[in-house]
Amino acid sequence: MADILGTFEQAVLLSILRLGEDAYGRAILREVQERLDRDVAAGAVHATLERLAKKGLVASRPGTGTPMRGGRARRFYRVQAKGVRALNDARAKADNLWHGLRWPLKGYI
Amino acid sequence: MSMTADPPRWAEALLRAFLKPGDFESVSGDLLEQYRDSILPARGQVRANLWYATQVFTFVSPGVRLFATLFSAQFLIRTALDWFLPTANFHFRSTASTAVGVCTLFAAGFLAAWRSDSFATGAIGGSLTAAIASIMSIAGGAVMLAISHDPQTMAAIRSSGGFAEVVSLPLFMVLPGALLGVCGGVASAALKRLFLFSRP
Repeated sequence: MADILGTFEQAVLLSILRLGEDAYGRAILREVQERLDRDVAAGAVHATLERLAKKGLVASRPGTGTPMRGGRARRFYRVQAKGVRALNDARAKADNLWHGLRWPLKGYI
Repeated sequence: MSMTADPPRWAEALLRAFLKPGDFESVSGDLLEQYRDSILPARGQVRANLWYATQVFTFVSPGVRLFATLFSAQFLIRTALDWFLPTANFHFRSTASTAVGVCTLFAAGFLAAWRSDSFATGAIGGSLTAAIASIMSIAGGAVMLAISHDPQTMAAIRSSGGFAEVVSLPLFMVLPGALLGVCGGVASAALKRLFLFSRP
């Protein structure tokens, strides 16, 4: 069975998928902030990427630097097959939880 | 947009200390890119530097924050006992709280060094833990005093060293925190080396 993903992990993985070839640290951070509609600490995204890499859900490769970055290389991320399975599993679980309920919730309380 | 402006050096050094060597280039590059590209032009030098420092603190090992909370919790429990359950002999309490404090700072240094693969980070982990803990302890002590300051409690505070001790003692722990952090860092490096050499 695939790993059970937290909401933030899903946000990071989905951002990587959306960004495709351009998925590096800062771009992922921006995408996550936009999608979650809140300020997110760079450290939180880094820690999540580290955890996802450890679980084998993402892989990374170094890119090239730019003058704006002081020549420091970017690190590009890609979702692995195991990551896609984990996302599908998370979505199926969420759908299952919501099954039979009308959204937005109204009239239950 | 400025291609040459740099964030504070101390903040970059702290970032380097808390990241694995292989992660520093990409992470610091990401932060520098954002700093130069969007934060500095929008906020100016002082606020941009403050932003950078705040970001760096989000990379500080969560262990440091946890150990700082533990350290200040044990300090405040000891303070509360002295204030509300006074004793004539403080020896046992002070020995126990010192032992817990020493172990906490050692562990903070050990964990910080273990995560970053650098024993020197242990010193930063230990001193940072003590510094964060001292702020939390002083604030906690002030809250306790604000809540309870009846004559009986005030007498107990005076006989246990006075409120000045609650303020000064945590601050005096920053330097020992660095030393204990170094010890933790050395222990971490030794254990890692032992672990690596014992692998087939």
